[in-house]
Amino acid sequence: MPTPRRALAAVVVAAVLLPLNACGSSDGGGSTDASGKVEGDITFQTWNLRANFKSYFEGLVAGFEKKYPGTHVKWIDQPAEGYADKISADAAGGTLPDVVNVSPDLVAPLAKAGLALDLDKAAAPYKPEYLDGAWSSHRIPGMTGTYAFPWYLNTGPLFYNKRLFKEAGLDPNKPPKTYADLFADALQMAKQSNGRVATLANVPTVEDFGRYGVELMNEQGTAFAFNDTKGIELLTRYKELYDAKALDPEALTATPESSGRKFLTEAVAMNPGSALDLGNFKKQAPGLYRNIGITDQITSTGHVNMYVMGVMVNSRTKHTPAAVAFAHYVTDAQNQMSFAKKVAIFPSTAGSLDDPYFTKGDGTDETRVRIAAATSLKSAVNYTPVLFSEQMKTALRNEVAKALQGKERPKAALDNAVRACDQLLKQQG
Amino acid sequence: MATSVVSRARRQLPLSPWLFAAPGLLVTGAFILYPFVSTLVNAFTDRRTLVPGRFVRLANFREVLHDDTFWTGLRNSALYVVGVVPALVVLPLLLALLVQKNIPGIAFFRSAFYTPVVASIVVVGLIWVWVLDERGLVNSLLAAIGIGRVGFLGDQWLLLLSAMAVTVWKGLGYYMIIYLAALANVPRELHEAAAVDGAGPVRRFLTVTVPAVRSTMVLVAALSSVAAFKVFSEVYLMAGPAGGPAGEDTTLVMLVQRTGTGLTGRVGYASALSIVVFVVTVALMLLVLRVDRREDT
Repeated sequence: MPTPRRALAAVVVAAVLLPLNACGSSDGGGSTDASGKVEGDITFQTWNLRANFKSYFEGLVAGFEKKYPGTHVKWIDQPAEGYADKISADAAGGTLPDVVNVSPDLVAPLAKAGLALDLDKAAAPYKPEYLDGAWSSHRIPGMTGTYAFPWYLNTGPLFYNKRLFKEAGLDPNKPPKTYADLFADALQMAKQSNGRVATLANVPTVEDFGRYGVELMNEQGTAFAFNDTKGIELLTRYKELYDAKALDPEALTATPESSGRKFLTEAVAMNPGSALDLGNFKKQAPGLYRNIGITDQITSTGHVNMYVMGVMVNSRTKHTPAAVAFAHYVTDAQNQMSFAKKVAIFPSTAGSLDDPYFTKGDGTDETRVRIAAATSLKSAVNYTPVLFSEQMKTALRNEVAKALQGKERPKAALDNAVRACDQLLKQQG
Repeated sequence: MATSVVSRARRQLPLSPWLFAAPGLLVTGAFILYPFVSTLVNAFTDRRTLVPGRFVRLANFREVLHDDTFWTGLRNSALYVVGVVPALVVLPLLLALLVQKNIPGIAFFRSAFYTPVVASIVVVGLIWVWVLDERGLVNSLLAAIGIGRVGFLGDQWLLLLSAMAVTVWKGLGYYMIIYLAALANVPRELHEAAAVDGAGPVRRFLTVTVPAVRSTMVLVAALSSVAAFKVFSEVYLMAGPAGGPAGEDTTLVMLVQRTGTGLTGRVGYASALSIVVFVVTVALMLLVLRVDRREDT
């Protein structure tokens, strides 16, 4: 049976050679020149936005197609879960959409792989339209250029449970404003409730270290540095909280969802959130809503943390002018403002935060939170380094957990975390 | 003319089986053979998600040996086999004996025991997280009877045991069905003869039922040990993506997932880990079959 045997041999050889070929796959890129005629079919991918904002995005696409006849935008939306994996599969397979909704940590590896268009070159005239801090949030240490348009920003207050504060003998109208106050109040809460009520539900993340005033990376962005004196001090304080049950005993395995649930069930006294959460409290936990207290994020730096969403242009798009024009259209002041009025997010365009929508109160809690957030965003910082990957987050989290459990001293734990993160950084190239 | 038709048919005949097998072979090739060979090749490179790899010989395998997380994963996966397999060999058999008899209403119990098998593991995982939460159902019951609350989800060992319990609970119905099929083939005369000889229910179970379903027990042991060693969902859902407190509940497959996915995934190293998981799984399977053969002789 010579034919089948040869066919089988061919299949085996192909199976061996195809992966080898895939190792070196790299096709040519598109143009970086965005000055041509805006036309052609492009694909736009968002991150879990279809369920709640379908009509907004359909209107957005229709508006763009009307403004630029000859263009056609195909809008696709991916679920939140596994979004990074979806992008990596598309990037590796050469099927990355032309315009992609990203966060700064997702942009970094794409830019390093040459898949994100440098907007300092391709879209320089648009730069003054955005807040400086927002525009620079998609710069990558070790590279020149900016790799995504800033889209919406978010930040939020710290919610606290006034009833639990009162029961612990704390003044419900004087929530903690400094870290020293926070640690003292948390210890008192744990003592008064016999360890039944914790004040915090999450272990410190890299963002918390940043807010505490710890230097996260060296100036060149080539190595991590959060194992300094301040970093050790923060972790030591958290260890005290954990031992006293002022930090929830399940914090070591907590996720943002689980800690939110604990706050909702009044098992935890404080939790960070956004204006969006108020509606949730009102609906799901009316008892909590009646006792809800709202205060500012606690920082030692004077700058609150902000989350930045961006819109990246695939450097291999066949329609660079259309892709750049669309990414700009999605993120321009008018469309960002329109989106901000639909959901509790904040525009990254210069001057938008001075709109009366973000400055004039109407007596409701939602508006109060919105105005406070908009005010703090003007000087907010995205503390999470863009090069801080998921693997690094896990490495830090696990070392922090070891310190809290007493398996390692805080200094040793942070030294190990920095070593692991540096190693991962080196492997990223 | 007739001769040439016959000889042509004879020449073409050997192709027919291949043509029939072609769809299956294509699917196997595309979804099993190709990914396997791809993983094997990647294991010897330093490939990352978006960066083509270079050939690094055995560097990944050397790193595996010096990686503390790998040993943690191996320990947890091995513990999972030790904890889950005996329960999944014995308990479904007892359950099958309970629901074997055709009495009114038994179909309800058979369906009820099988329900966890068809339930989504994500839903099951979330429900058990709520049940075992410090303020969940189990802890409320424990507090009510004065035992006090237990941190099932905050302690490394309790978390692993809880995940094992969920795996056993979810798998009972599946293996029960396999045992039901085996029990249907046990001749009733054997039980009747043993009863006439004065053997009680326990004695009949040990001397008649167990030997009769022994080959099924080996099959269940082999299937459940492979599944237990490759456990991912239960631990991932209950312990979180970081693998429990300080990552101490990470299993080998979780480590592969964590290392090799995402935009900065180390595909080469994760492939080497996958090859190690594959080798250990095959070894485990062979071990179970060897134990069975030794008992046969």
